[in-house]
Amino acid sequence: MQAELARELPPAGFNFENCKRNEALINGGFLAPKTVKTGTTIAGIIFKDGVILGADTRATEGPIVSDKNCSKIHYLAPNMYCCGAGTAADTEMTTDLVSSQLALHRLNTGREVPVVCATTLLKQKLFRYQGNISAALVLGGVDLTGPTIYSIAPHGSVDKLPYTSMGSGSLAAMSVFESRYKPDMTEEEAKKLVRDAIAGGVFNDLGSGSNIDLCVIRKNKTVDYLRNYEIANRKGERTLDYSFLKGTTIVTGTKTFNLDITETVIPMEVA
Amino acid sequence: MALQEICGLSDAPYMKSRTHFLKSTEEEMKNSTSNIENCYSLSAPPFENPMQNLNAIQQHGEKSGIKIDFDHGTTTLGFKYQGGVLLAVDSRATGGQFIGSQSMKKIVEINDYMLGTLAGGAADCVYWDRVLTQECRLHELRNKERISVAAASKIMANIAHEFKGMGLSMGMMLAGYDKRGPGLYYVDNDAQRTPGNVFSVGSGSIYAFGVLDSGYRWDLTDEEAQELGRRAIYHATFRDAYSGGIVRVYQVTKDGWINISNTDCMELHYKYAEEKK
Amino acid sequence: MSILAYNGGCVVAMRGKDCVAIATDHRFGVQAQTIDTDFEKVHQVAPKMFLGLVGLQTDILTVRERLAFRKKLYEIRENREMTPKVFSSMLSNFLYERRFGPYFIEPVIAGLDPKTSEPFICNMDLIGCPNVPDDFVVAGTCGEQLYGMCETLWKPDLEPDQLFEVISQSMINAFDRDAISGWGASVYIIEKDKITVKKLKTRMD
Repeated sequence: MQAELARELPPAGFNFENCKRNEALINGGFLAPKTVKTGTTIAGIIFKDGVILGADTRATEGPIVSDKNCSKIHYLAPNMYCCGAGTAADTEMTTDLVSSQLALHRLNTGREVPVVCATTLLKQKLFRYQGNISAALVLGGVDLTGPTIYSIAPHGSVDKLPYTSMGSGSLAAMSVFESRYKPDMTEEEAKKLVRDAIAGGVFNDLGSGSNIDLCVIRKNKTVDYLRNYEIANRKGERTLDYSFLKGTTIVTGTKTFNLDITETVIPMEVA
Repeated sequence: MALQEICGLSDAPYMKSRTHFLKSTEEEMKNSTSNIENCYSLSAPPFENPMQNLNAIQQHGEKSGIKIDFDHGTTTLGFKYQGGVLLAVDSRATGGQFIGSQSMKKIVEINDYMLGTLAGGAADCVYWDRVLTQECRLHELRNKERISVAAASKIMANIAHEFKGMGLSMGMMLAGYDKRGPGLYYVDNDAQRTPGNVFSVGSGSIYAFGVLDSGYRWDLTDEEAQELGRRAIYHATFRDAYSGGIVRVYQVTKDGWINISNTDCMELHYKYAEEKK
Repeated sequence: MSILAYNGGCVVAMRGKDCVAIATDHRFGVQAQTIDTDFEKVHQVAPKMFLGLVGLQTDILTVRERLAFRKKLYEIRENREMTPKVFSSMLSNFLYERRFGPYFIEPVIAGLDPKTSEPFICNMDLIGCPNVPDDFVVAGTCGEQLYGMCETLWKPDLEPDQLFEVISQSMINAFDRDAISGWGASVYIIEKDKITVKKLKTRMD
């Protein structure tokens, strides 16, 4: 039990021990570092047999693209997925946390969790932090009441809509929806519409880019997570090769550590 | 003119001579090219009271991200000794932490008998050194003798004084040989001007002074003096992030200046490391 | 100046064929002044896993110690070796805990899975947003230059000795355009049966 005694017992939730120091540093004239943002175009619509979520795959750090193929459609529960825009760490961690709460809920009740439950968990968490957790979410799923799409803003306000978009490319995506959305579309039609909406963001918004991810959740509880549904921006093929001759880099010292690989096979007891 | 008329070109607006320009256009052209005719006339920033407001913008710019990070950071040194004047400089130009150039020439050859070093804002130094070159040549033509280092440095100090507080950033040394013997002056953007025997200017100057002061004597031989300057700059490039590249060594004697050496810092580092063993 | 650039330095990690490489410069400075040229920012946290930390030096040391503590505790409790994947989630959670008062560091993790020897590389921002690509990750004051170098030089399925040249040349040429990184470099090449550490000859200005 020594380990238990030695354990640092951090209280659950955020830790604010560095806040004062960091504030002092920033007041002292240093610039606060940038966090990874998703920039993002995310969207979701309801179609005849369920919902479709869509997202681009670019993550940015100021003007730099820090990840060209990140995944912004997060798993919440077997019948629910959630797209995230805003500070990447916030969307990731918030959806992960709610996902585990939903799993516990499922185990406690033995039933499928309704989508509105996830919405409530998310909006209460976001409202509690007054917009400081900058996650703008599009939540889609199916339950007993049928398919639903919610959009949740960073301050905790919720909209229940047949089609919605979020993130810096939301205007581009919304213009596609506004002109072409109609109720009870077929799956193929709907997939094409979401693809076009995300492509609108990818090609017209600088904060969004690379590929298009889709996620189809049907009323019959089947899910198609279509990662890289379309590779919209392929990297140019290099025609020449930049390989270096061995010894190009001058080395002043080399050390090698061999790792012993001991594989012991314990025969199964056959008694 | 006849050909023009045959071709029917004379009516075209771009064929008209300058007298046809509107008065206001002419005025505008004159204002925006003022330093072609008079190099001392620089355009004022497009806001009131530049002396105060430019500084305010720069200070605020750190936070708002609109700070102008012009090329900066340097180590230069110069000293007088029995053989004349020796100058040594590095060659790195940085804008913020980004290295813009590793091969800048920070010693300006003003004429065959005078050199200037640059530290601070690269553009400021290059521009005013060029103006100084022009003034020195004019002085020669007017007076039929070469300008003294004292007079040249005074011109520079006057320029600095004219623009004092307007945001110029310069720290330069002028080295030369005139009828009074070897001359070495320090001039900066506050219009300070001092003659002296040993100077080092720039962000790496504290490191260079460390080496320079421990090795400096009046009666150094030429070789010793060159090696001292080279070593002082090398040690500054090692410790100072904003200095580096090539160590350039110049010497001014009564016969004019000569470029002694231009050595890459990497070469020097491994040479000195070898000597230490 | 950003707080992340107070001490300078950079780290880069790359994936090769059944191997990974991670490289670091050696500078420890305080703004313009170079204090030490033997300060490595890459630490071995398990036989086949390395953690590179750049940013504010005081936070690098604190984070390193706190992570070591959490990792040991995990290994005592679970009685098994930590895989790079688990380690990166632990680090991500650790950093996100301080979402509103972060440590000023950027981590890079490179390693092979202890059982399957699957290569793994990962980097995060200072509040723990993980990024696990299949090519390379960079961190530090010359990140922009490193992205450019890696994007041109890296290609899939590099053998260990080719990977060494690519990662070394990427790093050296990137930090030669950065005033506050450099002053020597080390490269760690992690293979299934051995780890090779190479010190590079670089510019010292």
